[in-house]
This record gives sequence, structure tokens and C-alpha cells, in this order.
Amino acid sequence: MDNVVIAQKAEFSYTSVMADGLKVARKAIDGLSLEIRKGSYTAILGPNGSGKSTLAKLINVLEIPEAGSVTVFGVDTRDEDEFWEIRENCACVFQNPDNQIVGTIVEEDVAFGPENLGIPNPELRNRVDNALKDVGIFELAKRQAASLSGGQKQKLAIAGALAMQPSILILDESTAMLDPNSRDEFLDVVDKMRRTKDLTVITITHDMSEAARCDDIFVIENGKVSMHGSPSEIFSDDYRITAAGLELPTHIKLTSEIAKSVGVRLKPEQLESEDSCVKAICDLISKAHVTSAAAPRQETPRQRGRKILSVEGLDYSYDDGKTKALDSINLDIYEGEVLAIVGKSGCGKTTLISHLNAIFRPQKGDVKLFLEDRTLSASDKKDVKAMRENVGLVFQYPEYQLFEETVFKDIAYGLRKMGLSESEQRTRVHEAAKAVGLTETHLVKSPFDMSGGQKRRAAMAGVLAMRPKILVLDEPAAGLDPRGRKNMFGIIENLRREGTTVVLVSHNMDEAAAYADRICCIGGGKVLAVDTPEKLFADEDKLKEMQIACPKLFAFSNRVKCALRGLIPGVEFESPRKSAEDEAESILRACAAAVGGGTGNA
Amino acid sequence: MLKDISLGKFVDTGSALHRIDPRVKVIMYAVYLVAIFMISSPAALALMGIVIILQLLVAKMPPKVVKSTVTPIIPLTIFIFILNILTIKTGDVLWHKGFIRITDHGLNKAIIMSVRLIYLILSTSVMLTLTTTPLKIADALEKLFAPLKIFKVPVHEMAMMMSIALRFIPTLIEETDKIMKAQIARGADYDTGSFLNRVKGYVSVLVPLFVSSFKRADELAVAMDARCYRGGEGRTKLNPLHIVRFDILAATLLVVGAVVPVVLDQVIR
Repeated sequence: MDNVVIAQKAEFSYTSVMADGLKVARKAIDGLSLEIRKGSYTAILGPNGSGKSTLAKLINVLEIPEAGSVTVFGVDTRDEDEFWEIRENCACVFQNPDNQIVGTIVEEDVAFGPENLGIPNPELRNRVDNALKDVGIFELAKRQAASLSGGQKQKLAIAGALAMQPSILILDESTAMLDPNSRDEFLDVVDKMRRTKDLTVITITHDMSEAARCDDIFVIENGKVSMHGSPSEIFSDDYRITAAGLELPTHIKLTSEIAKSVGVRLKPEQLESEDSCVKAICDLISKAHVTSAAAPRQETPRQRGRKILSVEGLDYSYDDGKTKALDSINLDIYEGEVLAIVGKSGCGKTTLISHLNAIFRPQKGDVKLFLEDRTLSASDKKDVKAMRENVGLVFQYPEYQLFEETVFKDIAYGLRKMGLSESEQRTRVHEAAKAVGLTETHLVKSPFDMSGGQKRRAAMAGVLAMRPKILVLDEPAAGLDPRGRKNMFGIIENLRREGTTVVLVSHNMDEAAAYADRICCIGGGKVLAVDTPEKLFADEDKLKEMQIACPKLFAFSNRVKCALRGLIPGVEFESPRKSAEDEAESILRACAAAVGGGTGNA
Repeated sequence: MLKDISLGKFVDTGSALHRIDPRVKVIMYAVYLVAIFMISSPAALALMGIVIILQLLVAKMPPKVVKSTVTPIIPLTIFIFILNILTIKTGDVLWHKGFIRITDHGLNKAIIMSVRLIYLILSTSVMLTLTTTPLKIADALEKLFAPLKIFKVPVHEMAMMMSIALRFIPTLIEETDKIMKAQIARGADYDTGSFLNRVKGYVSVLVPLFVSSFKRADELAVAMDARCYRGGEGRTKLNPLHIVRFDILAATLLVVGAVVPVVLDQVIR
């Protein structure tokens, strides 16, 4: 039996009851067929709402197909006598770490699954201990589950799954809520388990670099499989991947941009790994006559605006001064810039931005906001209200703060609190809704009837309506699919163009590098460095010292440049660019200049 | 702010009290409950106080935890104190102005009731929540009430529901904190304004909290299903409950601690 999962023309729909009592069925899975090989590492990709998670539920018999069939381990999931057999051998790890922990204590939670299976002691104890050791959190066995970090909670979830000794492990967007370090650790654990335990892993993900680790990919659109193949096959079709609302992994993106520029089509096997990509680029550049390349795009350095906010010697500690979250932070923010704040989880990022609009009042030091006519200070109680109106703060996953009957009312909430007139409220709500790309029809809807991405934008509009001078966003793109992320950063670009200063907290270095003018690295409650992305990420030793990951584009591009230096002696590269397109051009230009002795031009 | 509440929180200090079988603790808790309401003389109350303090010491509870356990019920205590003082009109008048008349009986009763309430909270905490994980409490209740299964009482399900409710208290408190901060960032004000306005303001916290709780419940149900939960039938336990000699010894000591103040109280009367 080679295929552990076989779906044949499976169909499944959700029925929702509308306000008027009308039942509406929405097809989530619509004639889907696929086969998953035993022992494979399979990725299921696709935009939000394409039916990926439903597929996971069909495999684990949490739902049963209405038509067609799903067969797991050769057993039809509709077979009522056998379906426990499937579920016992098929473990899931879901997206939200908090909502899958049943036990209060770590080991109690790991035991929950095997206890349900009726595993007796001492085997039960062995399974729990081994599972905890396998994922590397044995020392946390007696800790309270609620006190773990997000990354630890997801490892706990895997341990809980492994303790059931499954043969299939389904990861349903399990890494979506993790920061890059925890994500890599999590994926390494998965890799290790897969190799040592002979597991079939099915991962549903929006993270393309995670998908590139797999050996088989299914792309699902509108409840059907639209593409199937190895990562290199799937990612060699740039056009279709983009059309499906996905994106290429960074190293493949840069490679195919270079190939496009020199007019060569790459073979899938050239994209197999980062190494093969570096080799492919070297081949392209040495074979193709890169004598001509596009002239450098003029990047006018943006004029730095006036200082609008400054953080001066800010300290903050929890637990009566025992735990220091912020340690004499100094930071200036200039009008019209996008400043990204990066750092590991728990480094004090969120505490810092909570001070920017006086949600947290300074214990020591100060936060000053320079308006045209006056200066506000966070330590002055009188200024707090004005400060909150001028510095808009959007927390992580802001969709949880929606509560009104309609989106309009929700966006107007802050305005009502400001005591503005009805007509002024109306103007501002419409303006804010437009800025985040919501239309009139959205405004009359209940916020709870909208999709995740729309909800997030509505919540953002609620802050934007107050017309803040500075907009502070905590992980604005967290948990969104590639298309949603792109939209979100489009909105941020537009806001900046219209003059809003944006402070962005992110643990995605690629996005910070691509969209920010300056990046501020925080570690251990201190500012480690503030600089432009080009300068900051040029110094790899310093990055390591600060424990800040280099953006994938910069890291891969450095490898490519290293290889090219060996190939073309005397080649001089420019400083790294923010997008794969520009970086590809810049590399080609440098090579052309070196090969053609500086004579090559467009 | 809200994170400081220790209601339903387990504090692991690894003390002897932590190790006692949860069934013993549940029964002892009931014993103390009765004892606390049986005594009323100052000497007996003082003795009971000493017993509870001893328990806290044995449990190695840091003073900060004890403080955060008592703090949330101070308003209720004050309310009960005032209610008793104002409603009991018998005994000698100590002080009066207009319709307010404070009598020695009233003051006496008010003090006793307030002290009882604080004892009650402390012994609930030290006997159960602070020293026993919710799952163990649920285990104990499931075992103790198992005979009710004959009358078709869903004992296992109720125990499961209770343990999940307790497990989610810290998560929901964190969430409430987050929502409040987000609304404050949008101009909400929960600290000033009239009482009515403040209550109204909490709609902006409660609605999102309810919505997310339902979502959590949904997701948790799927996660439990995926982990093959199918009721209490055929389940095993990682840490099955065993009564050992240590538990019997502990139970004896605890019973003595509850009975001595009661006897003293009866003798004094």
C-alpha cells in the first residue's frame, strides 16, 4: 500500500444560516482528487478559503465527504466501524496554540491523547516522557501550559500528537502564528520526527520556504487540486503560482528574475535547492552574453522629515522592578518615514510600542510627540488623551477588538469617543474605509460576517479614522496568506505616501527590509542598532551578534555574489536592493560592467 | 492589571500539601467549609486563623500570591461588613446618626462574617486551586461522585467541563487585558466617568471576548476530537489517584486542625 491517503472526486460544503433563516451552502471541497504517498512530506498550498483546512478535516474524519470518497490506510472514511482506526493513526497540530491545549500542566496535556486511546501505565508514562524528549521540552513537563511561549506551545502540541504514535501527522497552518526562530525550530523538530519515526507529514501552509522543504506539493484552488508536483516543478511556473495567490520562495524568485532578464527558461531540476539555484545563476551569467543590462534605476534618497516623536531614556520593568522589559531606550522617529522595529519574541517590542501612545506610562524616561504647535509628553497626565489621538496603535490580530453591529459603527467608535459631529464622523469613516480598501457594502455588514483579512482591515480603519499623525502597527500581516500580506503592505505604502508616519513591528525580516526606510533592532530591552536595511543587513557578523536573522533575499544574494566573484574576477557589486527584481538587475549590471570592461550599456 | 488575579491559578511549589491526593483535599475542603461556619467566638476564629496560616506556610505560598488571592475579595468583604453593620439593630448602640445606628451585635457579626469570608477564600485556595491542578480537582470530583453515574448523572462530562473552564481562565484573562488595551488605544476609558457609563463601556470588551470564546470553544472541540476524545469510557490516566499512608496522615492532621477550633468554640460558649 503505497498511498496512505486517496481522495477521489471528494465534495464537501458548509451550510450557514443567514439572518433571514435562509440556508446557504458553500462548497469548500468541489471534486477534489489526490494521492499522498506513504512517508512523503507533502505540502498543501492555496489561498485562504480554498478548502485546505477542510481537506485536513476530511482526512482525519472530522468531516465526511458528501460525494466522492476519501480513503486513509485503505479504509473509507465513511465506514463507521473503522473510522476510529484512522483517527488514532492520524494526528493533527492546528494553528492557534492556545486552542488545542486541554491539560493545565504540560505532561497532563501530552497524556490527553493516549489516555483517550486507553493506553495503560507504564507505557503511557513512557510515551509522554519520550514525546516530550523528542520535541525537546522535557524540562518543561511540570510547567503550566498557559505560561509557555507560542513556540513552546506548538512544540507541546506536536508532543501531544506524537504521544499517540500516529503514522500521519497533519500540520494545519501550525507555524502561522510563530516568529521565524520558533518556526525554524518547529520545522526542524518535524523534520527529525519524520526521519526517525517513519511519519507521513501533510503540511498546510502559507510559508513558501516551508513548502520548498517538502517533496510533494498540491496547490488547491476553489476546492480542487490545480497544480501538483515537486517543489521545483511547481515553483518553475512563476505565472501560475502568482495567479493562485501564492509566491515563489525567495531564492527561486531571484533565480527566475535573473533567468527572465537574460531570456532563458530554467528547467525544474535547476531550482531543486539553494545550491542548484546558485549554480544555475552562475551558468546563466557565464553562458549568456550579459554585455547589456538595464541602466540603474535612479533611486532618489528620500529626504528625512522633521523629528516627530522621540523616546528618551525609557525604562520599564514588570514584577515590582524584578524583570526589566525596557532598558533606557532612546529612539527618534521622523515624519513620513516607515520605521520597522524587529527583534526576537519577548524582547520588549510590544512593551515599547505600548508606550508610544501612552497605553503604558513611562516609569522612567519619557516619550515626546512634537506637533506643529506644541509638544506632548507621555509622562504628563493632561497630554495622554491627545497623545492617543495622534498616535494610532493597532495591536497584533486587531480583528479581536471588533464589537459593534456594523463595520461603520465600529470604525466610528473612536470618533464618538472624541465627541465629533455626526457628519464629521461620516466623512472620516468613509475616508478610513477607503484607505484600507473597504467599500460601502462592507460598511453596513456585521464585522463578524467578514473574512479574516477584511476584519483586520476594518479594525485598522477604526484607528485610521482618528487621523493619527503616526500609525503604529504590531505585526500587521501576521497569519495572512501571501495575497493578504501583499494587500496589507500596499495599504501601508499608500498611507506613507499620503504623509502618515508608520512604525511597524515585525518578525519577518524580509518584509521589514522591503518596506521600511529604517530598521530598529531590539534585544533584551535595549536598542541594538538603528539603520537603513541596506547598511544594517550588510554586516553579517553584527547580525549574528544581535541574533537577528538576515532577510532571505539578502542572505541568498550574498551567496550568489560570493560564487560570482569566483567566476568573474574583479566584479564590483552595489549595495543590496529591496526587491528580488531590483536585486537581479543590480547583479546583472555589475557582471556586465566587469565582463565588458565597463563598456556595456543599454 | 488583570493578570494579577490568582483565582483558579495553580502555583507549583512542590510542597507536601501539593502531594496530597486531590480527593482528600476536596473532602477536607468541605470539612473546613463547615468548620469555618460553625465557629464564632474570637478565640476560635483566631485559632482557625493560625491553622490556615500554618497551611499556607506548609504550602510554601509566597506572600505575593496570598495577597493577590485576598485582594479581589476585599470589596465584597467590605460590602458584607457594611451590610451587617447597618442591618443588625439589636444590642447596645455604640454610635448613631440619623437612620444609621451601629450596635455592638452588629459590629461583632460584621467582623465575624468578614473574617469568615476571608478564611473561606484562603482555604479554598490553599486546599484546592493553588495547590491542585484543575485536572486533578476534576479527577477527584469524578471519582468522588462516581456513584451518581447509577442515576445517569454525566459525572465524567461535568468534570471535564470544569477542568477545561479552569484551564482557560488564564487565557481569557490575558485576552481581556489585550482587548481592553486595544479599545483604550481607540479612545475607550474604563477608569473615569459615571458608574453607568463605565458599565456600558464594558460592552466593547465583553462582545469581542464572547465572540472569541465561542471560536476557541469550536477549535478546542475539533482539537479534542482529533485527539480521539470520546467520553470517559475506556480512558486511562497518566497519574492515577492512589491513597497512600501519607494521605491518611495528612487527612488526620487536617481534620485535627478543623476540629480543635470547633471544639474550643463549643467549650467557650
